[in-house]
Amino acid sequence: MGEDRFDRQSFLGAGSQPVIERAVVGVMGLGGGGSHVVQQLAHVGFLRYVIYDPDVVEESNLNRLVGATESDVREKTPKVEVAKRVAFGLRSEAIVEAYTQRWQENPEPLRACDILFGCLDGFGERRELEAASRRYLIPLIDIGMDIHRVGDEPPRMGGQIILSMPGGPCMFCLGFLNERTLAREGERYGDAGARPQVIWPNGVLASTAVGVAVDLLTDWTQSLRSAVYMEYDGNRGTLRQHARLQYLREGACPHYPAAAVGDVVLL
Amino acid sequence: MMVGVRLTRGLYERAVADLRRPHPYAFERVGFFSARMGNASHGHRLVLLTDYHAVPDDQYVKDPKCGARINSDSIRAAMQRVLDTGAGAFHVHVHEHPGTPRFSPMDAEETPRVVTGLRVVGPFQPHGMLLFSEDRAAALVWLPGVPEPLKANKIAVVGFPLTFLEGA
Repeated sequence: MGEDRFDRQSFLGAGSQPVIERAVVGVMGLGGGGSHVVQQLAHVGFLRYVIYDPDVVEESNLNRLVGATESDVREKTPKVEVAKRVAFGLRSEAIVEAYTQRWQENPEPLRACDILFGCLDGFGERRELEAASRRYLIPLIDIGMDIHRVGDEPPRMGGQIILSMPGGPCMFCLGFLNERTLAREGERYGDAGARPQVIWPNGVLASTAVGVAVDLLTDWTQSLRSAVYMEYDGNRGTLRQHARLQYLREGACPHYPAAAVGDVVLL
Repeated sequence: MMVGVRLTRGLYERAVADLRRPHPYAFERVGFFSARMGNASHGHRLVLLTDYHAVPDDQYVKDPKCGARINSDSIRAAMQRVLDTGAGAFHVHVHEHPGTPRFSPMDAEETPRVVTGLRVVGPFQPHGMLLFSEDRAAALVWLPGVPEPLKANKIAVVGFPLTFLEGA
């Protein structure tokens, strides 16, 4: 490998690359969003990964799963193996802990992460991951997209990027999660076909999420100082701060108290 | 065994602001963090700091031979907090210089005695000593059931930005 591999990103700061290489990143879910995230993290130079996904590659994934091939469909390759292949292809010295299971079945590896990427379906899954991230003081960057159809209008494509920082507002505080959305979990998540997903919005969301992580670690913009909640309008091709950020209440998050961290111990 | 220490940036800034306040006669200040344990995979242990407790001015002892000496009331208060909260306790102070800080010979000799007392009342919690510099930190961690202290491999300030204070 050439010595100037990261020269083009030297604007991130003199000490940025060692920090990036030291950080342990966790990616929960390696579908349309997570596969993009892993690829970009590897390009940026991240070295240490903890990745989870219980699924194997299926034909219907090929429209968006970065790194997957037709032979992966034939061979029923686990998605974690596709992600490992992408990461090792870009950084052969990467250290990848890969788990072909849901993170809830084996949560301990996740706790060693410095940053988590939530690339999961559904609100309940997000609530569980955020609860774990808060309990072990790990910043969580959540991405997701959905497609809705209202009446005879064209489908509406939307999505979000949320940075949930321990000590700051959580996804309940931000209004993204609430009892109503969780109660609707059992209902259909979109109405433009079964789990509508395409590659380009996932690319936008994943790229933005990786950018947030790099900024968090390197502070290159010196402007990321509070929770991130961005909304994506896929019909217009825009990404902007969510209006709810204006209405955040001052003070600590009431949903995850500061003392409610660490392993639960009965004394 | 890998040991990581994490605290939120808000907690870090609150502690450092207190520790940098001048004292009427001591040359520096000390304080205590409350701490809880987290187990990760492959023997990786996490110490999660949850709160900071300043030592009141009148619990310092005049001693020109050291930067700060605290009396038995402050240590008793720390031990009582361990009993009341079920959280471990970390003795903390600041050395005002850039770069990786080192515990002084007096720190290395006297603070472990305080930790011994903390471990008696909180044998199932992590305890230890933490030292900040202007931009780095060092920590010795006594884990439950482990007799000797371990050096923290990573000390992370979780916030905007996310900073690793220990090492590089």
